[in-house]
Amino acid sequence: MAILNLLFEHRDVPNIEEIDVYEQHGGYAGLRRAILLERQAVVDEIKTSGLRGRGGAGFPTWIKWNGLPKNYDKPHYVICNADEGEPGTYKDRELMLKLAHLLVEGMIIAGYATYSKKGYIYIRGEYVEPAWQVRKAIDQAYEKGYLGKNILGVEGFDYDLYIHLGAGSYECGEESALMSSLMGERGNPRLKAPHAPLPVVEGVWKAPTLINNVETYCAATWILAHSGAEYAKYGTEKSKGSKIMSVSGHIARPANYEIELGTPLMELIEIAGGVTGGQLKAVIPGGSSVQIVPAEQCPNVNLDYESCQANGTLLGSGGFMVLNDKTDIVLLMKRTAEFYMHESCGKCTPCREGTRWMYKILDRITSGGGQPGDIDLLLDICGQIDGRSYCGLGDAAAWPIVAAIKRFRPEFEYWIEHKRSPVGPGHVPPTPEVLNPLLTLTPA
Amino acid sequence: MTTSPASPVAGGPNEPQPAPEKEQRFSAQAIAELEEIASHYPERKAACLPGLWIAQREYGGSLTPAAIQEVADRLGLSYAEVEGVATFYTMYNLRPRGKHHLEVCTCLTCAVKGAYDVVHKLEHELGVEVGGTTADGAFTLSEVECLDFCGAATVMQVGDKYFTNLTPDNVMELIETLRNSDDYTPAKLADAIVKIHIPGTSRTGGGSYKP
Repeated sequence: MAILNLLFEHRDVPNIEEIDVYEQHGGYAGLRRAILLERQAVVDEIKTSGLRGRGGAGFPTWIKWNGLPKNYDKPHYVICNADEGEPGTYKDRELMLKLAHLLVEGMIIAGYATYSKKGYIYIRGEYVEPAWQVRKAIDQAYEKGYLGKNILGVEGFDYDLYIHLGAGSYECGEESALMSSLMGERGNPRLKAPHAPLPVVEGVWKAPTLINNVETYCAATWILAHSGAEYAKYGTEKSKGSKIMSVSGHIARPANYEIELGTPLMELIEIAGGVTGGQLKAVIPGGSSVQIVPAEQCPNVNLDYESCQANGTLLGSGGFMVLNDKTDIVLLMKRTAEFYMHESCGKCTPCREGTRWMYKILDRITSGGGQPGDIDLLLDICGQIDGRSYCGLGDAAAWPIVAAIKRFRPEFEYWIEHKRSPVGPGHVPPTPEVLNPLLTLTPA
Repeated sequence: MTTSPASPVAGGPNEPQPAPEKEQRFSAQAIAELEEIASHYPERKAACLPGLWIAQREYGGSLTPAAIQEVADRLGLSYAEVEGVATFYTMYNLRPRGKHHLEVCTCLTCAVKGAYDVVHKLEHELGVEVGGTTADGAFTLSEVECLDFCGAATVMQVGDKYFTNLTPDNVMELIETLRNSDDYTPAKLADAIVKIHIPGTSRTGGGSYKP
């Protein structure tokens, strides 16, 4: 188990973003194979593959694809969640920049399988350069007859693909908030199952909606081009196939690495060239929302959904952050709390207020004003946010703090007692001399 | 008759500000773009976000109340609805920005790789604090949350482009290049985003992108 380039197989081919080059390397073979199959057989291929959602939750993809009405009676929609916003993750960026056709092809296949006539790719507003590549891929697909009316001669298979750009909101990466945003509203989440119907029953414009991540659609293309059984050969028993991990932080060669699910965590660090600037202190394996893993626990973790969960963390979206021993965990958590405070949409009180309180207390501790009961107060606030908001942002704000306190409690206690960082002289509490009194972390 | 201090009466402490003066600044091309984009959705309201991007371009890089009003009028929405959207998303400029808007990512990975050192360097060299604009109007400096190119930390977005692997040592070189550039402005960012919505524009370009 190690590097497994399925989606990235042709990533480094020159001009792979042009449709002719893409076709020369097996492009649109997945779509051509799909239209020879019954629509249900396409869904069954996805089922056989064992593909799970690559956006973070790991929900079985085929259940979504199977859930839409199997006729053209009423409109329904295919949406791609390309609002990549999780700190640490940049896989969708590279997929769209270099392999936009893989995404476009996957969305056409999804449109065919789910009897949809329209698809929307929701890309975050900051991703202008990747969005231009997707624009080009869609324009070229229309010219070749992969989009439009009676695609590839299949009577009644009409499908249009549109791009919709966001305007700066982490919250819009949450599927119900994304749908609000697509409909021209503030990016607030909606009540979810089991209290409300799933998107496949009632999604955008109250119509059945299929919504998946960029990487999931790209994997669907690969699965249709090869086969579900082929994909299922890779990975572990319950986590099939490959996953793109975005490696960043104190690491020699930060980049996107596509690995076989089940690859040991330490092996990925080795593949990426090892830790820089000191010894390994901790890894955040799945983006800022997941629990931090201390170095001594890292050898136990394999990068698949089950092993991560067994070790008290999550694979998430694959934002793999490596931290060396010069990193101050308390300052890092303060910055994490600041992120969620900024991005909370304000709809649910526990999240809107709680994220602010979390930040205030962590700011107090790291300004030298920590009080003895602060750690328990933090845990209490986290407990009151977790599970008490419409969407997962509140949970995601609480989890990393709780885990950091559990696994690095002495560092929090040191800050409160000594009013300075336990890590070293490079870390100073803010002073008036610093023009902009914010955390200062020593660069590697 | 007495009124509570909070009631929105004329002359009271909570008197509503005058309604924005009606302006019609959308060019014929902008109107055509808005109609094209609106046709992509089953409801016109869905064109609210792209409509605000068009307005941000047509009104020179920021959304004045008149710009918000014009979007509302053209899409058949209320002023409050559109204002609510404009104030939710961070990329809509409700105040004018400098010619170049420097948005430095200081989120987790960039922070541990020294993003705040880059911010401090820029503050010292440009003589502005975060959120401020230089006296000559050339630069506005902002901190932003994760731009999601963490492998190339520190990252800074300027208009429709990301600049990567920044350090206090190399950032000023970039600033001097930007000073003489007409690309990567807030208006070009808005133009690029509008154009990406419209089929066929990969052949003609938009913003700072030239095919």
